[in-house]
Amino acid sequence: MRIFSMGLLLGVTSFMSYAGNIEITVLDKQNKALSNVVVYLTSENLAPQEPIAKIAIMDQVNTQFLPHILAVQRSTQVSFPNSDSIQHHVYSFSPAKVFELELYKGLRANPLLFEKVGVVELGCNVHDWMLGYIYVVDTPYFKQTDTAGKAMIVLPDGEYSLKAWHPRIQDSPESFEINLSVQGDEQITVEIPSSLLPDVNAYENSDNEFSDYE
Amino acid sequence: MNGVFLMRVMLGVLAVFTELSMVNAQQFSGLVQANVVKADGQLPWLDGGTGIVQYQDDSLNLQQGLLNVKGKFTSSLSYNVVANVYQNGEQHLGVTQAVVNYKPLSIGSARFKARAGFFYPRMSLENVDIGWLSPYTYTQSSINSWIGEELRVAGVEVSLYNSGRSSRSPLSWEVLAGAFKGNDTLGTILSWRGFAMHDRQSLQNDRLIFANYPTVNDPDGIFHPSYVEPFHELDGRVGFYLGAHLSYYKKTQLRYYLYDNQADPNVVNHQRLYAWRTKFHSLAFSHDFTSNARLIAQWLTGSSVMGQRFVYINFDAWYLMYSHKLGAHRVSARIDNFRVSENDIFPNDINESDGRGLTIAWRYNINKSWQLGLEQHVNYNRAYNRITLAEQPKRDQRQTLGVLQFKWR
Repeated sequence: MRIFSMGLLLGVTSFMSYAGNIEITVLDKQNKALSNVVVYLTSENLAPQEPIAKIAIMDQVNTQFLPHILAVQRSTQVSFPNSDSIQHHVYSFSPAKVFELELYKGLRANPLLFEKVGVVELGCNVHDWMLGYIYVVDTPYFKQTDTAGKAMIVLPDGEYSLKAWHPRIQDSPESFEINLSVQGDEQITVEIPSSLLPDVNAYENSDNEFSDYE
Repeated sequence: MNGVFLMRVMLGVLAVFTELSMVNAQQFSGLVQANVVKADGQLPWLDGGTGIVQYQDDSLNLQQGLLNVKGKFTSSLSYNVVANVYQNGEQHLGVTQAVVNYKPLSIGSARFKARAGFFYPRMSLENVDIGWLSPYTYTQSSINSWIGEELRVAGVEVSLYNSGRSSRSPLSWEVLAGAFKGNDTLGTILSWRGFAMHDRQSLQNDRLIFANYPTVNDPDGIFHPSYVEPFHELDGRVGFYLGAHLSYYKKTQLRYYLYDNQADPNVVNHQRLYAWRTKFHSLAFSHDFTSNARLIAQWLTGSSVMGQRFVYINFDAWYLMYSHKLGAHRVSARIDNFRVSENDIFPNDINESDGRGLTIAWRYNINKSWQLGLEQHVNYNRAYNRITLAEQPKRDQRQTLGVLQFKWR
């Protein structure tokens, strides 16, 4: 038992010696925490890596995309189930992935491969107010901020660029990227330079099931 | 045919549709409502009387039965057909809507869509459930009871629209125009019976009857039958409508329509059905105070003329409804006000009528498929041509409904 504990301790110590916990906080211009922001760290020294999760899910629930924003690593397959009892017709005209997918009740569509980095804005041709995003990054080190605007990423020591993306941020991720040298744990605050675009999440607030003609 | 056999056949049909909708791109949905009525004994227009609610006697009835079939021809071309069965009225089986929708995918702030077929212009914010029914009350507003029985277009509608969410705006808009035929007799029932309150939509092949008013049937007078077949084309002219929708998020909606059937009021067919030149404005509004509390209102004002001003009416109606959802329960209350006034060359043929109504309904979703509801409706109405039938022009009417609904999708 003692040997096992010692081994575990050694393992943790050696892990700590080359990995850091980066706690990232994203604040807007008014210093308010911003949730659901995709934060990601890229490095020129990183060899191309296979995505950690081979498959991600973008569901349709109560005529909304769920999650509203899905961050995936390049070369991830995204499956589009339909948890509603009605048909959806999902599409994107974004350069990172142009597609359309008819999602019938009870029929499962094949997952789609997201190979290009960037924003994929999703719409539904049946329900015009539906809007969702897939953000494709070329690194395994990404997270989305929580309601306190925080995200924790574990990554090896090294030189990185920290970028952030959210549909309400009008600045390009490159324009306010932070270059950092990671050595152990760190806390970093990202401040969004420009004012945020209007919040249109109020479209999701009405869950009254009767809003237009069937 | 015994009841058990009929039930087995219906369950079999249901099973087939459910099976089809599970595995096919075609979507079958439907609804059946059975009711128990406490009625006030007054004979409704549907049976040749002058009452303006649907039932005369305390009874059990099939209130609604409909099948809605949706499908796609291509990614941008879809269709939708609603077939109904009705216990009351002249025809019992038929179609109330059949439409082909064209909605191509496109980028841009203003997108295009179109539809063609036999359908309702989307004026109403009340009739948003499957098959143009109201999810709020069973007895619909006087405005939409009339639209359901006399108005439908056989035509084409084109729209330009913008979805606010994708353009990062709280406002969404749509402007549209429609051209149609086949709604020339619009205004007939309003002129003689006046407004009524019910949920009996006319089928495409329907005949809508009303009381045998002697001044209407008189061969030396107007000489019109005591019915109208609402979807006839009599004069070959094309009618039009224009509409504008504006919404703030999904919370507040405003819809304006101008409808003009452009009919030639001097055209009459072999049945002595006239083309009525009917035009009106409709303004509808709804606002969600919370996701459970909704206010809905509509105002309709217009005129209709038949012959050489044999009949000329102005009509005006509005309703105000509040609907509240509490978990699986929905309670709705609506007040209605309606009036038809005349200004024509046959003063003995009376077209003046008016009234007001109160409808309160409770609907409880037992589960996804079954719903139970209770409704109390009262109205006070006057129709002065009842005098020609030796009836009092003034009426108080009341109707209590208990409704069991089965819906599948």
